[in-house]
Amino acid sequence: MAADTLKSKNEQGYWAFVNKQFRKKKTAVISLYIVIVLAVIAVFAPFLANEKPIVCKYNGELFFPVLKDIAVGFGIGQFQQQFQNVDWKRLNYDMVVFPPVPYLPMNQDDDNIHSKGPFDEQVVPSTRWHHWFGTDELGRDVLSGMIHGTKIAMTVGIVSMLIASIIGILLGSLAGFYGDENFQVSRIRLWGNVTFLFFAFFYSFGTRSYNITDALGKSLGEGFFQLFISLLIFLSVMVIGNLMVIPLKRIPFLAKQVAVPFDLIIMRVIEVLNSIPTLFLILLIISIVRKPNLYVIMAIIGLTGWTGIARFIRAELLKVRNLEYIEAANSLGFSNAYILFRHAIPNALSPVLISIAFGIAGAILTESTLSFLGLGPADTVTWGQLLSYARQIPQAWWLAIFPGFAIFITVTTFNLIGDGLTDAMDPRLKQ
Amino acid sequence: MKPVELETKSGTTAAGKKFFLARISFPLFGYILKRIFIFIPTLFIISLLTFILIAAAPGDPADTMLNRSSGEGQASDKLATDRSYRELRHKLGLDLPIFYLAPSNLAVSDTLIRIPIKNHREMLDRLIYEYGNWPQIETYYHQLKTLEFAIISTKKDSTNANALIELRNTVAKIFIHHEDELLTTLFDDLKKNTAMASNLVEIKIQAEATEAAYGNIKSGATIWKRYIPVIQWSGSHNQYHRWLFGEAKWFGTESDPTKGSGFIRGDYGISFFTKRPVKSVIWDGLWITMLISFLVIIIEYLISIPLGISLAVNKGTSYDSSVTVGLFLTYSLPVFWIGTMAIFFLCSPDYLEIFPPFGLGDATWDDGFLYKLGDLAYHLALPLIIASYASFAYLSRQMRGSMLTVLGQDYIRTARAKGLPENKVIWRHAFRNSLLPIITIFASFFPALIGGSIILEFLFTIPGLGQITYAAVIQKDYPMILTNTMFAAILTLVGYLISDILYAVVDPRISYSKK
Repeated sequence: MAADTLKSKNEQGYWAFVNKQFRKKKTAVISLYIVIVLAVIAVFAPFLANEKPIVCKYNGELFFPVLKDIAVGFGIGQFQQQFQNVDWKRLNYDMVVFPPVPYLPMNQDDDNIHSKGPFDEQVVPSTRWHHWFGTDELGRDVLSGMIHGTKIAMTVGIVSMLIASIIGILLGSLAGFYGDENFQVSRIRLWGNVTFLFFAFFYSFGTRSYNITDALGKSLGEGFFQLFISLLIFLSVMVIGNLMVIPLKRIPFLAKQVAVPFDLIIMRVIEVLNSIPTLFLILLIISIVRKPNLYVIMAIIGLTGWTGIARFIRAELLKVRNLEYIEAANSLGFSNAYILFRHAIPNALSPVLISIAFGIAGAILTESTLSFLGLGPADTVTWGQLLSYARQIPQAWWLAIFPGFAIFITVTTFNLIGDGLTDAMDPRLKQ
Repeated sequence: MKPVELETKSGTTAAGKKFFLARISFPLFGYILKRIFIFIPTLFIISLLTFILIAAAPGDPADTMLNRSSGEGQASDKLATDRSYRELRHKLGLDLPIFYLAPSNLAVSDTLIRIPIKNHREMLDRLIYEYGNWPQIETYYHQLKTLEFAIISTKKDSTNANALIELRNTVAKIFIHHEDELLTTLFDDLKKNTAMASNLVEIKIQAEATEAAYGNIKSGATIWKRYIPVIQWSGSHNQYHRWLFGEAKWFGTESDPTKGSGFIRGDYGISFFTKRPVKSVIWDGLWITMLISFLVIIIEYLISIPLGISLAVNKGTSYDSSVTVGLFLTYSLPVFWIGTMAIFFLCSPDYLEIFPPFGLGDATWDDGFLYKLGDLAYHLALPLIIASYASFAYLSRQMRGSMLTVLGQDYIRTARAKGLPENKVIWRHAFRNSLLPIITIFASFFPALIGGSIILEFLFTIPGLGQITYAAVIQKDYPMILTNTMFAAILTLVGYLISDILYAVVDPRISYSKK
């Protein structure tokens, strides 16, 4: 019985402790709640700001146009004939519930163009249709833009950090765990892999470049199918290559073990990336992309933002790899890769949470900076884009204040969470 | 205290240790030299990375520079624009391969890149992709050119005017399409249109020859060639080499003024947009960005070091906690938001008009030195405040933290125990040691400032490096982007170097040799 409680205590020990420490910090907890609210706004954006009613009764039939709209967006079903190309506001409903903000961010309200402020006189049927945060030059509702902008900001923050974390954790742990000497392979396997990497790229992507781009041009699904085939080819070439290496290992010269200097290579890559100021690097990439859409922006931010995480986890693994339980796992005969993925990375991962929290704040900031510069995703409304309109209209204070404040709040809350995690995970505070 | 190891933000040391240079013991000067030597390969890699990224960019620079419309005009006009286009491409080095070596396959020919029209190159590349027989494709292309020439050199009269226009459009389509079905219908169109008037015999012959050449491609397809990888070696006749080292003679005077001398000899090419040499544009902007960054750094350190110390000394008081929270909030305020708000409310006649909203001042050459200085200061005041506040908040927090760490050390307790006044303890014993982390931050500060110059100069319309880069990105002015990125990287590396040197000056325990 006593042993049981001891065991369970040990198992949840670290995270329970972190949780306890985190809860102690008021600002961090409040930030967490704000983030949850923002996430809810992001997820339910179509229900909060939309031109279509949430529920309506039309000609005696009950409809859920917002839900239907989402379904149509996924390619399921189509709008009924009677609802195609209609002005939803002017239909004669038996019963109707509009979203709290009855506007879409991209659509113009022709009665309120030339940026009407929240306190200006607006041409609206009733207070229900008032633009609470004003409109922009084209008569688009700012509040609606802010709500849909939340979705964009959260998506960019999370997806780009996901990309960055995957790359950062993988490369950082390779560098930290194996260092320069610990990854030993036979000479022929090293050479073989380098050679077959070239062949694999050649046969999977080089010879199939137009297949992939054509399919991607047609539809995303077909594109992914072609990419999947390429990936299969890539893997099979690598597997064949590694099988072909085996008989050659009999030759002593080729079988000699050499070290792959992962640390050297990866740190050099990080150094090069860090030597170009991030914004310059991002602008360089954007300049060669035809039309930056949201996916491209997320990919760019993710691909340029992994170095911090990689350095973090590298430093952590340099400590971890000398700990006793790694030695124990080694002496039990587990392979290096198994130890790395099963034992070393999970134990080094928690501090990375801190840099992920800060990274999300940074990614959101970068995206809004790009949008502010007019280089962000062109197909959606974002906070930074709304803020940039303020520069063109010197009277529209609502365009300067609200979107900027939204960016500020989001960035601050993620920073505060990161700060709270730093304190919570600081072992010096542990009694 | 832990022994301080020599470590830089750039992470060069970890890699640098492998470097044989690191094994040689150097004094400070030698150490700096060694650092510079380590920067050189990094710069090479950066140049390669940026160059290849830019070379992969869509669009045809020569086309953009000429601003030409395609397919219109008389035969002589067309030939003239074609020639000037070819000459421009040659002048810009666009008819050269991009790099010393390139992965390719047996079907692709290195003459493809010399085809002077981007759309045509893409079409031919597609044909190679589909059929894999370059000799036949090349014949087809030349035949198609002959056909085009036959059409534009045929005299227009009332009987064939419509047919000629149709023919020209059809040929223009054939030039950019590779799809078999579409091409078949297009060839049928050609036949139909040549039959419309009696004086189109020459065109008819050429059209038939073209169709036959196309048939040859299909019948003689060698797709297997596409599956044999080769590495093409182009020697030093490539765009990268030309850009980096130039073609001009290294010693003595170059007689041919069209030959550039390359990036490392200070020739950065010609701007696609303004058609001025990039060099003159960049130097105009560089000193402004340097000046602003320099001033910002001085301001930041002057404010944040005393502030951080006073916060650390008064730790736990309400002064400390309120200022710390304030600093955190300031740190999170996006620069472009505060900048917009500042311009909005402080520079506008609608609200307060304290600062000028843009530019660097209107002083002319004849104005007195003091006036010029005052004007510059007046215009730079707001940008400097905006550029400083965020990082100053961060720096103060760091200074506070590091001072607190130092104040908790044993030797501080010893100093206090032997009865030293608090003032002396802080300034004599703690201050110097608490500076170390702040100086390492300098290394990450400098790139942040250079990167931040894009936003700052965009906000205040200051014609510095950032504004030039931004404009270049909008205009897709690639030589400009390339040079700016290189300069941003060089400045960053210089920032790392300065922080290494400062680090060494402040901390005497650092040795430059390996133990």
